[in-house]
Amino acid sequence: MTTEHPSVPVEASAARPSRRGFLGSSAAVGAGAFAAKTLAFSAAPMTLLDAFRQPLLADELKRHDKRVILLWLAGGASQLETFDPKPGRPTGGPFRAIQTRVPGVSISELMPKMAQRLHHTAVVRGLSTGNADHGGGARLMHLGRREEPTVKFPDLGAILARELGRPESQVPDYVTFYTATEGRGNAVGQAGFLGSRYSPMYLTTDTAPPNLRRLASITENDHRERGDLRRELSDRFSTGRQSSSLASHSEAFARVGGLMASDKLFDASQEPQAIRDMYGPTLFGEQTLVARRLIEAGVPFVKISRAWWDSHGQNFETHLELVSELDHVMSGLLDDLEQRGLLDHTLVVTLSEFGRTPQINASLGRDHFANAWSATLSGCGIRRGSVYGVTDENGLNVVEGKVDAGQFFATIFQALGIDHEKSYQVGARPIPLTNPGTKPIREVLA
Amino acid sequence: MALPNECKQTKDLSRKEILLSVVRSPATGRIYAGASDGKIHSVDPAAEKPEFTEWEGHGSYVTGVALAGPSLVSGGYDGRLVWRDAASGTISRSLEAHARWIRKVVASADGRWIASVADDMVCRVWDAADGKLLHELRGHAERTPQHFPSMLYACAFSPDGTRLATVDRVGHAVVWDAATGKSLATFEVPGMYTWDPKQRIHAIGGPRSLAFSPDGQSLAVGGMGQVGNIDHLEGKTRVEIFRWEKGERSHEFVGDQFKGLVERLIYHSSGEWLLAFGGDSGGSVQVMDLAGNRIHKQEKASTHLHDAVYDESTGTAVIAAHNRLLVWNIA
Repeated sequence: MTTEHPSVPVEASAARPSRRGFLGSSAAVGAGAFAAKTLAFSAAPMTLLDAFRQPLLADELKRHDKRVILLWLAGGASQLETFDPKPGRPTGGPFRAIQTRVPGVSISELMPKMAQRLHHTAVVRGLSTGNADHGGGARLMHLGRREEPTVKFPDLGAILARELGRPESQVPDYVTFYTATEGRGNAVGQAGFLGSRYSPMYLTTDTAPPNLRRLASITENDHRERGDLRRELSDRFSTGRQSSSLASHSEAFARVGGLMASDKLFDASQEPQAIRDMYGPTLFGEQTLVARRLIEAGVPFVKISRAWWDSHGQNFETHLELVSELDHVMSGLLDDLEQRGLLDHTLVVTLSEFGRTPQINASLGRDHFANAWSATLSGCGIRRGSVYGVTDENGLNVVEGKVDAGQFFATIFQALGIDHEKSYQVGARPIPLTNPGTKPIREVLA
Repeated sequence: MALPNECKQTKDLSRKEILLSVVRSPATGRIYAGASDGKIHSVDPAAEKPEFTEWEGHGSYVTGVALAGPSLVSGGYDGRLVWRDAASGTISRSLEAHARWIRKVVASADGRWIASVADDMVCRVWDAADGKLLHELRGHAERTPQHFPSMLYACAFSPDGTRLATVDRVGHAVVWDAATGKSLATFEVPGMYTWDPKQRIHAIGGPRSLAFSPDGQSLAVGGMGQVGNIDHLEGKTRVEIFRWEKGERSHEFVGDQFKGLVERLIYHSSGEWLLAFGGDSGGSVQVMDLAGNRIHKQEKASTHLHDAVYDESTGTAVIAAHNRLLVWNIA
């Protein structure tokens, strides 16, 4: 077992190499000096090419090329108006189903672009998560398990920031956009027992972090010289001292410096108009484009929250607006990732806290429903063009392939090459990534 | 004609389906309601034991029905217009009329023309006798200012059939010359469309109903006022009346008891009062006193009301509602 700072939980498996030691040398992968660097992990010097011959290290390297973009459909998107339509049934609503590029698989007519791209995607139609409350449902679908009073679990983004991120990275490991105010508190962004190192950079306005740019009153030269002075003083102070907090202090400055240098990453206008058109002119589209820029620059996990889907009244009008937007943004994202060769390394997830009732209420709305709903996984590690789970003819129950939150999370981890049974040691307690006995959905994994 | 003193439900005919549109044959008193199952549900509500007849013909919700002579013309979210014999139900014509959802179908009073509006943002005028397309009226943007698909909700002929009005989701209204298809006037009714840029970042509402005054000089627009929580139909019912040639608003009725959309407006032929039907999860029936510029009566209905017809001779309103056909006495 590795001996990191006591407050930081560590992987319980003693058979694994030290992540920190490993990554300390593998940083050059991202920097482009691919073949020349040696790895510190092994007693004997070893090139990166050698590393690929060792299965464990090769897996570790491959994992660190992986990225995740979560499209969080806050408020609860309707499965009937997206990925599990029931045309012609009393619960089906007015939208038709259209055939996709995957033989035998239909989705709502509101998603004509995704229908032509469903061969990139696995549709999970059997989610049955049991919590139809916004707060509880959202927490469940962010943590992958029910909360416990004595443990503060990290959310999906924090876990993936730890598993996929690089300690020396100068871009954030976890960025989350949530611009609407409704439901923002439900969309958990917490590092929990992993520590604040893995907390998200939380953007609540527009597409860029506030206060990122150098103050106009400070010249570029002054800014650089101040940084040099701080670094010199810090180095002098730390000479001969061993302290994790000193290292953390310096790392924090380095990350802020990296962020300031990469402010253009958050600027969608840096992209050609043709690329911007792929995502569309809405805020959700622009934020998703920024997410692609971020993961391309090495940010391992980005969540874009599109709120608010809670259509108790006028469900069909609301979904006509929001699904049309989702169809354009999601298909644009998949196209862009594919064209850049990133789709094989990037997992795109669409997820809500729950779905919506098959019954249509008197306001032509649909209410909260956690019994039988849908999510999707596209790209990295996924058996593309697959559908898992069957709901009954009215969409009231899952009749085959029921999936809970833990199974869905285990599937995400496995798709990224992360062992979902791996544990973090928190004090005396090993805490696995998913609850014991949880199985991933093998049928949707590549 | 004095303002009505009575306004109450007299009959409730339960249906499994959502009834979305309704028309009444003046000759027979028979009711034809378009429903969520893609069918026309026909019934004589005055019968001692009303029995429904169902006619197929659409692949989705039937949101507009109109009578033109012997023909019943229906339109739906499948984009089709279907002509059938109103007595037998036999279909004589079925057209792919619009690329998107048809929201409303109306007939001119003389039965010569049919007008349909749809989310392709076009109003099409048809020869009721042979189904020939006469005019395509284009004057509504396909996208809202926030870049989302717009919707063309309502249309109405003037009583003399010379004018045709349309209104879209963001409240852009156009009055057309029905014979030539030329735009005569435009004005804005912005207070019925709620765009929430902060809390939920989408929209709700939009004007849902139109009616010309008996003299054709005024146009009433019905919908819902601004909404705080757009998850629900919680804006106050709202009716505005415009002198359309000048675009001047003459009346504004804001519901003080009921929330939700005003889905149907019907002028009394005297021009003295106006009926408004609609609701949120419940329903409301309101009588507007136009001379007094006040809501004369407002009554609660058991569920959301989607459409209505009114027979002045008997004071009977028949209402298409959520899972019901309702009969009210308003006299």
